[in-house]
Amino acid sequence: MVYEKQGRYIIPFDDVPADRAPMPEISVDERRNNFVEIETGFPEETAIREAKRCLSCRRCLGCALCWAECKPEAIDFSLPDETLELAFDEVVLTCGQDNAFCDPDPELGFGRYADVLTDLQFERMLSPTGPTDGLALSPLDGRIPAHVAIVQDGRSAEDPGLPASLILGVNMAQLCSAQTRDVKVTLISPLSDEFKARYESQIRQITGLTLIEGTPLSVGRENDSDPLNVAYTSRSDEKVTIAADLVVILTRPDTAAYLRDLARQLDTAPPAF
Amino acid sequence: METKEVLVVGGGPEGVRAALEKAQAGVRVTLVERFPALGAARIPRDRIVAPDACFVNPELEEARVHPNIRILAYSEIQKVRRENGKIQTRILKRSLRVDNDKCTDCKACIQVCPVNMLDDFDEGLGFRTAVDYFNPQTAEFNIFKEDMPVCQQACPVHLDIRGYVGRIADGRHLESLALIRERLPIPGSIGRICPHPCESACNRQYLDAPISICFLKRFVADVEIAREITPAYKTASQKFPEKIAIIGAGPAGLTCAHDLARLGYENITIYESLPVPGGYLWVGIPEYRLPKKLLQREVDLICEMGIEIRYNTRIGEDISFEELQKSNDAVFIGAGCHRGLKLRIPGEDDFEGVVDCVTFLREQALGTRKSGTGKLIVIGGGNAAIDSARVGWRMGFDEVYLVYRRTRREMPANSWEVDAAEHEGVVLQYLAAPVEILGKNGAVSGVKCIQMKLGKPDASGRRRPIPVKGSEYVIDAQTVVPAISQTANLEFLGKSTEFRLTRWNTFEVDPDTGATNIEGVFAGGDVVSGPDIAIRAVAGGKRGAAGIHTYLRSR
Repeated sequence: MVYEKQGRYIIPFDDVPADRAPMPEISVDERRNNFVEIETGFPEETAIREAKRCLSCRRCLGCALCWAECKPEAIDFSLPDETLELAFDEVVLTCGQDNAFCDPDPELGFGRYADVLTDLQFERMLSPTGPTDGLALSPLDGRIPAHVAIVQDGRSAEDPGLPASLILGVNMAQLCSAQTRDVKVTLISPLSDEFKARYESQIRQITGLTLIEGTPLSVGRENDSDPLNVAYTSRSDEKVTIAADLVVILTRPDTAAYLRDLARQLDTAPPAF
Repeated sequence: METKEVLVVGGGPEGVRAALEKAQAGVRVTLVERFPALGAARIPRDRIVAPDACFVNPELEEARVHPNIRILAYSEIQKVRRENGKIQTRILKRSLRVDNDKCTDCKACIQVCPVNMLDDFDEGLGFRTAVDYFNPQTAEFNIFKEDMPVCQQACPVHLDIRGYVGRIADGRHLESLALIRERLPIPGSIGRICPHPCESACNRQYLDAPISICFLKRFVADVEIAREITPAYKTASQKFPEKIAIIGAGPAGLTCAHDLARLGYENITIYESLPVPGGYLWVGIPEYRLPKKLLQREVDLICEMGIEIRYNTRIGEDISFEELQKSNDAVFIGAGCHRGLKLRIPGEDDFEGVVDCVTFLREQALGTRKSGTGKLIVIGGGNAAIDSARVGWRMGFDEVYLVYRRTRREMPANSWEVDAAEHEGVVLQYLAAPVEILGKNGAVSGVKCIQMKLGKPDASGRRRPIPVKGSEYVIDAQTVVPAISQTANLEFLGKSTEFRLTRWNTFEVDPDTGATNIEGVFAGGDVVSGPDIAIRAVAGGKRGAAGIHTYLRSR
């Protein structure tokens, strides 16, 4: 029932089969020494059932209800696309992060557990104009989590992208504590000496945030009603497991493919995070 | 001095800052963002800030009102190239379908919109209506309409799949077929043989399995036949007198003719070298996958629009290309790829019984090669190889072998076709390559093969096969069919060699119109793309028809 690609839900209906209809065929014995069409086509009943499986990936249907309702007549379906031919002296490519993160480490449970989010999703959740008006909520049951774990995915202490990723984590943790009552946040990540020297004392003063130096290993749960178990290797190389109600993965953003294409066509280096 | 023009790509914090810096320096800036609104107010990544400093970005508002900045949201850079020290671009600015200057933000539209879709801006965590803010912070409305569903996007002719599948679900089969015919004049044929890129894109695969889109198309085409309905393809009431010649009655040529006739052109002639229509659909796709009777019916429906097909007429022999050009206002070349490539190994040209797959399939389809005996060896791993083997099996060869130099995993043929061939008893030999054709008394007696192993991936991403030294062996055979690839036969051009061709011996055409470098001559289908699937040839025919129409009307 989970739409796995994005951890989205789809409701299964009794009248819609989950299985794809197989095409009926004539047998191999009937095929020898002749050229009779092998596939015999769907009977009507099969075709209709198969067609009902279509999710009809939803977009504007053109029903014009909004158009009828719009008093200032701002809605105009005939507003055309425009194609512009423009010449420039210089092109500046900046990095698009939208949906451009690498797939998180599968061990971290993204896509498998609805209460494991990416940093981009959590950022939207914490936005005052986001889907939960800024409140941290578990997409699994809609409850306010008592403990949020923010875990670093696939970056070592030497990774040049680590500081930006950690700062996002720290800012999210602060925001989460400020906007959601009684929530504890734990941030688990490898740390570089440089980062510690510069930020550690500042971070340790933030109430509600625990910073743990370690490498996240896995996220999972035994039973559906249990909290998530977050396992990591500590600084002293011990395996430690803590429980969390919501897990946020600090992903490694990657340059979007269309930007790499543009950079190639312009013969410049693609923008990097 | 002219003001410098700068293009900034990306409407995030970085892009907005870059745009502002340039604009403040007196440069004119165009800021292009893929999504319907700028999204620059976010949680900072460069400094630890107090919670109230998140999602606040004064630069965003500044950039939105700066006189030197033009914001192109919901826009895509389609082309970019350096030319004379400038960077030339083509940018598609999609319509928001809401005039945000008039909008009073009353949200009445949101109340009534029946569509509830996952909100991409919220990373799929929430829902939005089809008409809604994209980014609530910039409070600009848009209607998500223009983005096609993924299946329609993946289809080379962009069939309204959601529309026609939905009509089948409602039992409105003939309406569904009419909708398909809006963009595809040969639905019954394509519904049987298409490798359906739409299904590979279908979102349902992430839930269980993709919708069987292709076979549903076949279903509605079959409904019409079962109900004995003969539809009439409509043509526009305004007529155009220009003469148009089309070379080849394959999927590209037929579609081009259909689209032009529909636009109102009355003088369209298709020149076909074979005695039958359909091009590769007739002489390449075997009868058991696509019955000729069905193909003939679809061709007849197109011809009813007032299109003449001159069969057995080979350009370059019966009529020269120059003559054709002279006596017509426009020419469309859809000649296909009907020449099988050679193996380039010893013995290939020395013995009776070596016949390339194109010839083999064509002769069978035309009835000049009816049966076979002994052992048949097909060499290659594409769809034409599988078709040749399965045709051979039906023709009565005692044993059919297919020899391929890589493994099943690297085979370019459709997996379901390979399964079927195996199921029918074709013997598949992987990791084997022919090194010599052997013969006796002028006739083929066998193929000497060598075993291969897979090395590092090559340019195609597939692992390159490497011969294993000393592993040669011989397979007896009476017929050998090389099916390694096809190429275009451009001999018909005769002396008109002014055409700009690619290094694959295909036409170089304008990607928007299908126009060749010669005025009034357009091309489409395999003769442009190289051997490819039929639906892409249909798309090439459509592009050519639109290109010819624009060309003739703007002369």
